[in-house]
Amino acid sequence: MKKPRIGVFKFTSCDGCQLSLLNMEDDLLGLVELFDVAYFREATDKPLKGTFDLALVEGSISTERQREEIVDVRDRSRVLITIGACAVSGGLQALRNWASLSSYTHLVYPKPEDVHALSTSTPISDHVYVDFELWGCPISMSALAETLTAFLLGRRPGIRGYSLCMECKRRGIPCLLVSRGEPCLGPITRAGCEALCPSYGRPCYGCFGPKDDANVESLMRHFQTMGLAAKECLALLDKMNSYTYRKAHLESRG
Amino acid sequence: MKAEGKRIRVDSLSRVEGEGGIVLEIRDGIAAQVKVTIFEAPRFFEAFLQGRSHADVPDFTARICGICPLAYQMSSVHAMEKIFGVHVDPFVRDLRRLLYCAEWIESHALHIYFLNGPDFYGLESAWASKDYLPILTRGLGFKKLGNDLLALLGGRSVHPISVCVGGLTRAPRKKDLMAFLPAVERAFEASLKEIAWAATLPFPEAEFDTTWVSLVHDEEYPMNEGLMGCSKGKPMPMEDFLTAVKEFQVAYSTALHAGIREATDLEPYLVGPISRVNLNRDRLPSAIQDAMKSSGIVLPIRNTRMAIAARTVEMAYALCEAARLIRRYEEAEKAFVPYEPLGGEAVWVTEAPRGSLLHRYRLNEVGYVESCTIVPSTSQNLAHMEKDLRLFVERHADGPVDWIRKEAEKIIRCNDPCISCAVHVIRPG
Repeated sequence: MKKPRIGVFKFTSCDGCQLSLLNMEDDLLGLVELFDVAYFREATDKPLKGTFDLALVEGSISTERQREEIVDVRDRSRVLITIGACAVSGGLQALRNWASLSSYTHLVYPKPEDVHALSTSTPISDHVYVDFELWGCPISMSALAETLTAFLLGRRPGIRGYSLCMECKRRGIPCLLVSRGEPCLGPITRAGCEALCPSYGRPCYGCFGPKDDANVESLMRHFQTMGLAAKECLALLDKMNSYTYRKAHLESRG
Repeated sequence: MKAEGKRIRVDSLSRVEGEGGIVLEIRDGIAAQVKVTIFEAPRFFEAFLQGRSHADVPDFTARICGICPLAYQMSSVHAMEKIFGVHVDPFVRDLRRLLYCAEWIESHALHIYFLNGPDFYGLESAWASKDYLPILTRGLGFKKLGNDLLALLGGRSVHPISVCVGGLTRAPRKKDLMAFLPAVERAFEASLKEIAWAATLPFPEAEFDTTWVSLVHDEEYPMNEGLMGCSKGKPMPMEDFLTAVKEFQVAYSTALHAGIREATDLEPYLVGPISRVNLNRDRLPSAIQDAMKSSGIVLPIRNTRMAIAARTVEMAYALCEAARLIRRYEEAEKAFVPYEPLGGEAVWVTEAPRGSLLHRYRLNEVGYVESCTIVPSTSQNLAHMEKDLRLFVERHADGPVDWIRKEAEKIIRCNDPCISCAVHVIRPG
């Protein structure tokens, strides 16, 4: 059987999610046996050529050029999977979606006229059809391994859309929200990290983005009864998945 | 034969972190144009950090780089702690240093075996040849150990979650750390052989005089603390460094460049493993100094292509230091000191795997960010990389175009640029 051609593409991001591929140290040699790694700038010199059976896409769309490039990547790829908060949610850089671009460029660059960027940073799915989204900042390596396995076997990845609280309960971690009154995003956040932060005694800060049908409004109201100002509540949502949490917030307000 | 009017382009550099390219133009044996082009999209960190709580900052700045997130967290929390007058417990200081060791190990291993190593064997990737497989397998071992240690202390290796202003959210159990010790000790022994291996790689002649910059420390190889050392001049406090360098913007790059202010000029300088080893050689344990001597590595290193050798030296150091810190670790109840957020301004530098990483923050009276400056190692090295390229091109102007292109890529790669990092720079404000 011919090995499937895999391409790894980067848009606006920190490289952490594609690094997860190289961080699968125990499986990496197996991975390059099972796949033909046909494009992966961080790891190989191979130029962009031909079509792909699977494209893994990291990063958000934040420049005009990227808007064209992602269409090209989609054209070349049978299956396109986005990896990480930037690609599925716009990333931290999507915080500029709630500000004016010129106020940002003037702040950062002495000659802002030389800087070319869109006024927004948006998820890949706002631009092209995406077959599957892998959430997380960063993605979890086990979810990545499951996704690649599922691809090879031709099935859907077995990744759940329920909330982080499920993982917390399963691990027997006392609830930070209930027992310590800490503003934890667990109830509205997708599982996937094995309740990492609560296991370190800190409230969830939303790396994995909103779970399916998250009732953001209800949690925000609860935070306010705990004494948080509306602005502080919003700051909790305005992190790596700001764009999708805010969307979910609007939806849950009905 | 005189080479005339050669134009050489690399549109997209491979085996580097982030997106950049090279443009070279050679006319009459002179480098008429030398540019490292950076087209990584800007992310405006310094803008959206404004108005955020100091407590959010380490989680945010970590997201600048997936390879060295911990370095960003370290420079951030140290700067905040300086403003608040917080002093962490000595054992927390040790744990932070141990975290840094872990990041050096994984980041250096990535560069040595995946990104730069294949260049010396004429390969397009680390898995392109069966002959390289034993080398890659060794590298995977070091890299995994670094990542596992980072995950034990930080929760996960990419964007760790334990580092916070005031200390750490959780300290590890002594027994969990001790379980790592045998593997760390074995890896340290093995790493001495890696120094010998790296020293035998075919380095092209590329020596030139340059300015090295790194933290220096009286008692230890620098990571989190020290003075800013420079090979041309006396060590200076961290906050003076910001005025000693100037950042400037060029049209072909979304990353600002940096130079050290000389009389009227800006002088390119180098940060990273070569500079650290050169300026801190006396802080290396004798086992490592002996391994360098017997491998024929002579200090100071003046050939930037030998950065891979300097990285193996530092990987060995990080393993040696990690073992020492694990051995003397005593478990404590609380890894966190309570503090009151205050207003003020501070600069802090820590040594990221790729070199000195400077952060400056100004906070309002309740500890929210009013303004900040982030000067990553790669943007400091950009001007130096161009100088390196220029010297190479002028030495070899008659060479075939394809060869020059390949060599130019290697020159950039041996600097281990982290272009995602480099693009987040702000003028001092």
